[in-house]
Amino acid sequence: MKYFHLIWRNVFRKKLRTTLTASSIFLVLVLIVILTSLLQAMQSDPSGGKGANRLVVQHATGLGNFLPLSQRQRIEQIPGVVAVSPETWFGGVYKDDKPENWIGQLSADPEIYFDKIFDDAKIDPQVNAEWKATRNGFVAGQKIADKFHWKKGDHIILKGTYIPINADLVYIGPFQAGDESNIFFHNEYLNQSNWFGANKVTGLYYLKVDSGEDVPRVAAAIDRMFENSDAPTKTLTEKQFQLQFMEMMGNVKLLINGISLIILFAVTLIVANTVAMSARERVTEIAVMRTLGFRRGHILGFILSESVVMSLLGGILGVLLAKFVFIPALVALGNKTSISAWLVNFRVSGETLLMAFVISVGVGILAGFVPAIRSSQRRIVDGLRQVV
Amino acid sequence: MSSNLIEIDHVEKVYRRDQIEVPVLNDINLKVPEGEYVALMGPSGSGKTTLLNLIAGIDSPTRGRIVIGGREVGSMSQSELAAWRSSSIGFIFQLYNLLPVLDAFENVELPLLLTKLSKNERRKHVETALSIVGLSDRLDHYPRQLSGGQEQRVAIARAIVSDPKILVADEPTGDLDAKSAEEILDLLKRLNKEFGKTIVMVTHDPRAASRAHRMVHLDKGVLHAEELTESGTMRQL
Repeated sequence: MKYFHLIWRNVFRKKLRTTLTASSIFLVLVLIVILTSLLQAMQSDPSGGKGANRLVVQHATGLGNFLPLSQRQRIEQIPGVVAVSPETWFGGVYKDDKPENWIGQLSADPEIYFDKIFDDAKIDPQVNAEWKATRNGFVAGQKIADKFHWKKGDHIILKGTYIPINADLVYIGPFQAGDESNIFFHNEYLNQSNWFGANKVTGLYYLKVDSGEDVPRVAAAIDRMFENSDAPTKTLTEKQFQLQFMEMMGNVKLLINGISLIILFAVTLIVANTVAMSARERVTEIAVMRTLGFRRGHILGFILSESVVMSLLGGILGVLLAKFVFIPALVALGNKTSISAWLVNFRVSGETLLMAFVISVGVGILAGFVPAIRSSQRRIVDGLRQVV
Repeated sequence: MSSNLIEIDHVEKVYRRDQIEVPVLNDINLKVPEGEYVALMGPSGSGKTTLLNLIAGIDSPTRGRIVIGGREVGSMSQSELAAWRSSSIGFIFQLYNLLPVLDAFENVELPLLLTKLSKNERRKHVETALSIVGLSDRLDHYPRQLSGGQEQRVAIARAIVSDPKILVADEPTGDLDAKSAEEILDLLKRLNKEFGKTIVMVTHDPRAASRAHRMVHLDKGVLHAEELTESGTMRQL
């Protein structure tokens, strides 16, 4: 610690240069923390692991094809299955096409939905009971309900797109869950409409099984049961089901990691250049210090420490601003758009903080290594001769 | 007569530039007793600074032996040399070479950071050194806030703060006006007389050299002549 003031003074020897270099690290860390946190949010489980006993059954060819409702009874008979709810993505337009008016709209079976399948979600028993009793009623995630300031009894019209009916629904009340970007209404509302699929098909089945150990067996049993039927199935865990939406965007993870590596490499070169310039300017000073008795190891340590301190300064500032300013701002913006469901877990995790710290120190060490070695190895008389 | 603190025995120094060998010092023999003040004189390129660097242990001879305080400098490892320099040698440069990012106190404290002294002990040593050079009121001044003479006095304080037996000075007045140069020479004389420091000083200036006990003349790497100054004669008497 007795050397820290010397290291600190040398870091700020040229204030503008240090500020600019630290700013480049700051920007890179902001970008990396945001991208990494976004990637983690997109890959995270909104239920926080509580959905481990839930399975989603979809058509084997993809979400674009429906499944016959007749499959429900057969799935319910598989040992270990607790409850099965058909669920259909309605995809209607609320108010207009503006992204801020996007809502996830799903039909479900109210008799079992919050009682047996999403029992980790919180819903007022009175609201749940009223929803069950109201065929055109809907419940909404708290976030969506707050966003549109819905009050009990409010009517909303959802203009159908690929299901060509207009849904006129009545707001019953909110529920609280990891993902609060959806509303749920009765399957019966669709079944009693004049839609061609009414009482015949569903988009998918959401089901709950007894325990996590039963999940692989039940999933395999369902797919085996329908593999030679007109509607073969693909059964996924809840997390796998959510991840497939990310896969639709291509290999986002590879892209994000690739971009991060390239910018890290670039910033390492920038810091290395700054450290090298600073060391070159101090050739004589370093020789003088060695004349006074400082060893090569001291010089190596000083230059490396200066590089790490500069890198950490930018890094810490970047992480703090990303965590407390940029990510909250992005979440606030994103909540107004159709990606709000993916922003549920958009926050800086402890893992990301550790990664940012390691990156900052790593950039500092990598950037400072060559200048530090060169400075420490230079002969004292050569260093003194630079000015004399 | 005091024992020899510095013994230079048949020392040669050859620099190699590309494939060419450039002899800088040739068969130098010199003995400096403890407490002596020696001025190394000679034209540019005569090898004065090289000889000073060899005595200070920041360069090594190509041939020959340098024994300082009973220890052969050439047999020490880099690490041992660094430790030896910090405790035994005080170096004074022509251009002062203070660290611009540190104030006077911190510059003088720098060699003490290598010791096991506590912060309070370091403070006492630094304040003593700065009071010897007459700069007790400039502790928090940065080099840019000091005159050339004051900077050199801070550099001298830095050289004496760890109480080394030997001070080596490379043209210590070469960058100073006449008045400041006189003050620095007075200070060096005082360090020699009152504190018993053995001083080896490189200088071009005969007036500066006359303050020493002995003048040693180098030319083209060869030690040509030695002469006692007035104070040297007095010292011998």
